Amino acid sequence: MHRNKTPRNRLDKSMAEMLTSEKLAIRIVICLAVLVVVMALCTLTGKIHLPEGSRKISLEKVFAGPGQKPGENIDYEIFVGVRLPRVILAALVGAALACSGVILQAILRNPLADPYILGISSGAGLGVITAVISGITWSFWAGSPMAVFAFAGALGTVWLVWFIGRFTGKSQVTSLLLAGVVINAFFSAVIMFLTSIAKSDQLRLTIFWLMGNITEKSLSVLAVSAACILAGIFALFCISHRLNVLTLGQEEAKGLGVDTTRTRAAAFGFAAFITAVAVSLSGLVGFVGLIIPHGVRLIFGPDHRQLLPLSGIIGGIFLVIADTLARTVFGQEQLPVGVITAIAGGPFFLFLLAKYSRKVSWLK
Amino acid sequence: MKKLWWLLAIILCLAVAGFVIFGFPQVQKHYAPPLPGKPARIVSLAPNLTEILFALELDEQIVAVSNDCDYPLKAAEKKKIGNFWQPNTEAILAAKPDLVVTLWFEQQKAVADSLKRLGYRILTLKIEKIDELLTAIQKIGTATDSNDKAGQLLKNINSQLNDLQLKLGSVNKVKVLWIVQAEPLRVAGRNTFINELIELAGGENAIGNTLQQYPSIGTEEILACGAETIIQSAMGKSDIAEQQKAAEKFWSKWEHLPAVKNNRIYVVQPDTVTRLGPRLCQGVELIAHCLHPDIYAQKQNAAQQVR
Repeated sequence: MHRNKTPRNRLDKSMAEMLTSEKLAIRIVICLAVLVVVMALCTLTGKIHLPEGSRKISLEKVFAGPGQKPGENIDYEIFVGVRLPRVILAALVGAALACSGVILQAILRNPLADPYILGISSGAGLGVITAVISGITWSFWAGSPMAVFAFAGALGTVWLVWFIGRFTGKSQVTSLLLAGVVINAFFSAVIMFLTSIAKSDQLRLTIFWLMGNITEKSLSVLAVSAACILAGIFALFCISHRLNVLTLGQEEAKGLGVDTTRTRAAAFGFAAFITAVAVSLSGLVGFVGLIIPHGVRLIFGPDHRQLLPLSGIIGGIFLVIADTLARTVFGQEQLPVGVITAIAGGPFFLFLLAKYSRKVSWLK
Repeated sequence: MKKLWWLLAIILCLAVAGFVIFGFPQVQKHYAPPLPGKPARIVSLAPNLTEILFALELDEQIVAVSNDCDYPLKAAEKKKIGNFWQPNTEAILAAKPDLVVTLWFEQQKAVADSLKRLGYRILTLKIEKIDELLTAIQKIGTATDSNDKAGQLLKNINSQLNDLQLKLGSVNKVKVLWIVQAEPLRVAGRNTFINELIELAGGENAIGNTLQQYPSIGTEEILACGAETIIQSAMGKSDIAEQQKAAEKFWSKWEHLPAVKNNRIYVVQPDTVTRLGPRLCQGVELIAHCLHPDIYAQKQNAAQQVR
């Protein structure tokens, strides 16, 4: 492959390079290594405030094992019971949201698309507030009723949006977006109505849940979610090469032999599924799905075969760090992780925007 | 090349599965089930639970409480483990409890579940009515091996309730509108423990049976309800006098309500009436002072009541 011009800036260079499987594999492995290191460091961050005094968590005590009875080896219990599940959950949710963001930005060809755009946020919110108001208390498969209802609400809404989008209008992308807007507005109104009749503590519960929180989950919940999310991401990875073509436009893609409807449906379906799982576990964590894809695209280029897995891993890293900050920045108080992602995300997004638009204007 | 990716994927899956099945530490299977017996270190996650524990003379055993536990004063000095709404699991673990007492709602249930998985002893109580409070006191007594003190406390509460019944049993019921929130206006309905307190204090809820526990009502309802007294629990404990003035100003526009005409609007200290705990009867007395000032020697403004 032979280049006429020497690449003058990063974007030019990344468009001219070929992405080989070896390069991709190396990048994925390096990013995974960084993820593991970050997760390990974050589980060790934060002091334990024992009655005798505050101290750092001690790794040798953690490896010593659980002890004879509860309370004997606090380091182990905190590490295994609180920090490890939280870090694993944060990585999973971050990966799911970032991957989903990549997919939705590709399908909708809209740089402002995030995982919640097509009704997932209002569907999950509706599910949660319905669960809270109805006072259902049974647990289903070790998931709380709110989680189950959020999952069902999110998926149900996505299906509805897709159905309406297909039904109305030839240009799928626009009709999908419009269907999403309408459904969001309608469900937001229903949520407002239910909010007005809820008791104050139910309301607080709903809002708290919707703000986005990473909490300790049981092993079975983590295992099932990990299986679902990783399977979904892998499935998306398998069709990511078609997404490259899809971003050229509907007609162009069809002309190049890609079945746009089925690709879009498959991508949307898997992305919605992993987002629904993530939302049912941790509420609506904002900004991860929006900024991570852009950041990774800036650094590594827009090739989706690379963008998808790397966004997933870097999304996981981002949310693990954000959750650790949320847990430790104020000592005993815990912030919702959505606060940290938004506070970090805002300025970072502006910075990216400035950098990105400067680059685009260079490429006359 | 595709086969290599599949191979990589399968290896990754097996690695994850292996970690999950063999590697992930399963703490609760390691311990023997927790032994019953008198717990030496108790953590309480709600203000009313803390009050009950102190009333059972377990002050030495209580090692940590939630941020909003402030009665009795000794409770405020105990180590804090986070909010009522978001208890900090790490802080609870760091307090090395033998028993954790929690309330029965989602947030606290989630924390209770993760503590249970780590082998800790949890007592979860539902306290939304006076009967449930009395049952809860008994359960706490059993769990902390202080059945005799619990029995004594229950006897005290019951005898105080009896005294109140004698004093207020045969009075004319005064119609009360209990304001939970001023904007938008929300009142306590008939299916709440506040209603139980009102009825014990010789009153009657001006609102009839409603679907919700704390309905928000409109102007029509307000005009129709004919409330003879309006009671509002204060937000926070400071400047009750100012809140009283603000409430009187707020209600002055409904000048045809008997409560407003006779200037029987009260803003009361929130602790004893919004927390269902051992100070139940103090709460009832507080309300009775507002409803039947003639029975009590002189009309006391609830804001001046000394705790």
